[in-house]
Amino acid sequence: MPAVQMTGVAKTYRGRGGQVLRALDGLDMTVDSGGVHGLLGPNGSGKTTSIRILLGLVRPTAGDVRLLDRPVPADLPRVIGEVGALVETPLFFPGFSGRRNLCLLAETAGVTAARVEECLELVDLRDRADERFKGYSLGMKQRLGIAAALLKAPRLLILDEPSNGLDPAGIRDVRELIRRLGADGHTTVLLSSHLLAEIQQVCDSVTILARGRQVAAGPVSSVLDRAGTGDVRVAVPDPAAAAAVLAGNGFSVSPAPDGQVLVHGAPAPGEITRVLAEHGHYLEELVRVTPDLESAFLAITGERA
Amino acid sequence: MSAVTERPATPPGPVATRARGSLFRAEAHRFASRRFIQVLLGLALLGWLGAVVIGLLNHGEPTDADLAAATQQRDEFLAAEQEFRQVCEQDAAQAGQPVDQFCGPALTASDVPVQDFLTTAPFDLASAGEAGAIGFAAAAAVLAFLVGATWIGAEWSTRTIVALLFWVPGRLKVIGTKAAVLALAALALGVLAQLGWLAMAWVLDALVGTDDPLPDGFWSGLLGVQARGALLAVLVGLIGFGLANLTRNTGAALGVAFVYFAVVENALRIWDPMADRWLVVANSVALVAPGGFRIFDYSGSTSGVEPASHLLTNLHGGLVVAAFAAVVVGAGTWLFARRDLH
Repeated sequence: MPAVQMTGVAKTYRGRGGQVLRALDGLDMTVDSGGVHGLLGPNGSGKTTSIRILLGLVRPTAGDVRLLDRPVPADLPRVIGEVGALVETPLFFPGFSGRRNLCLLAETAGVTAARVEECLELVDLRDRADERFKGYSLGMKQRLGIAAALLKAPRLLILDEPSNGLDPAGIRDVRELIRRLGADGHTTVLLSSHLLAEIQQVCDSVTILARGRQVAAGPVSSVLDRAGTGDVRVAVPDPAAAAAVLAGNGFSVSPAPDGQVLVHGAPAPGEITRVLAEHGHYLEELVRVTPDLESAFLAITGERA
Repeated sequence: MSAVTERPATPPGPVATRARGSLFRAEAHRFASRRFIQVLLGLALLGWLGAVVIGLLNHGEPTDADLAAATQQRDEFLAAEQEFRQVCEQDAAQAGQPVDQFCGPALTASDVPVQDFLTTAPFDLASAGEAGAIGFAAAAAVLAFLVGATWIGAEWSTRTIVALLFWVPGRLKVIGTKAAVLALAALALGVLAQLGWLAMAWVLDALVGTDDPLPDGFWSGLLGVQARGALLAVLVGLIGFGLANLTRNTGAALGVAFVYFAVVENALRIWDPMADRWLVVANSVALVAPGGFRIFDYSGSTSGVEPASHLLTNLHGGLVVAAFAAVVVGAGTWLFARRDLH
């Protein structure tokens, strides 16, 4: 059962001048249960709009949305108890303490005071929990938001840019927490982020959005592979001579940044080895050039959006 | 580890953490925790104490000198009235009009009690009871408006109402619960205000009051005014709530209210002197005041001719103010239920 399923979801707004703005343009997204799923896209690609639609804050113009196998927004009241969310900035009463803010939310859903303390402990805010929210640093506010999202011990945890405002240690800890949640067999985490490294480090699968549409989806490694160029970097004692041999045998080559040879679109690296060996060039190194997510993201959104 | 501890991320299961939740109870606690509301109630308490002190200072048994001075002032007033009446009688004769119709009935000493000229008089519950209840009802209504506006206005300013939808996605349920909490709180405020008036009246009566017995029906009349005063607090509180929900800001709601009461109502009165039949202020008075509130149209009247008038009954006043509250709250609720929330 997918934790999240969005099919052909569209959302349009009418601007002041009457022009139609498409926030989502037929978005398809499936998040399977378990693990951490990344939602990646440039600013304005529709990430937050998608999350707001999932949480019933924004009504889609078209399309079907299901959350934990129930239609949204119709059945949202039935599933909301299993969903925790942090959307953009944490929203709390500035005059109330962190603990008071959480207790009021907990009382709404019948979450026990013990669970409030657990969540405060989890984000290392227990010692500061009686201070007013307005006195918190940006990072502490973000951590309180994460604690609120965790209060319900949700089956689906939706986190929109959870690392915002955190210091490097805080970012590391939150990523570790997300990884642990994704691996606990109970929680599915949908993580929206513009931080490519965060998605690459934390997520098992990813959906990449551009201009309100899905442009790539699947396991992170698979998306990287699909965005890969098939280039191979070849290191030999005489790069110029080896490049000439490869070019003479139909390979597309160019100099690599380190002075070695880059073979483009090589279907079978073994063929490179054979050709060079036949001409007396013996390999010191042969490496398939794997793009990082940033390269993949730029390639996908730049070429296919 | 600096931010997140190494504890298990979740408890064994969600069921272990759950008891029966209550949005209403949580909202009631949220309401009671709001500092601004606490400050308003604290200021109201201080105002009550101040009113009691002022009441004690302004009432008391008059001395012989006080009575002599008041009697002299009353006699001077009657003499001046007599001079005016003589002139008026001449004018009536010239105009060929009956004197009593042209000048009104002649004033006698029995019409103008000496007590009216005393600067220090005993507190008379019989005459002050209903007026005081109306005053306290007005104060409670203003307070209820501020509480209602800030209750929902602050939710919009901090956008915590959006966060609440992550827990209770039913928008009508959320806004309905908040309105219900406010209505109950405003009712409590209205009742407390009236109890405050009774307490103040008891203190004044015990310390500086008259020994005159209360007239028959006094308590039923007073309790009627007080009950309607408490109802007014509920309705005006809901109007404040509705305006702030529409504007999504406490300050904007207060601004709209100021423009409405200071500009719109006065403009409508100038345009149509009988417009008060459908305006909030006059109907609020009509709801609370004993017997309702009579409005007059002086635009077509001439000297000596009774102006046209219309009685706004308690029921009429209540229905108009309730309709106003329903429209304002209903419009805000409708928009809240339909709008996208960002």
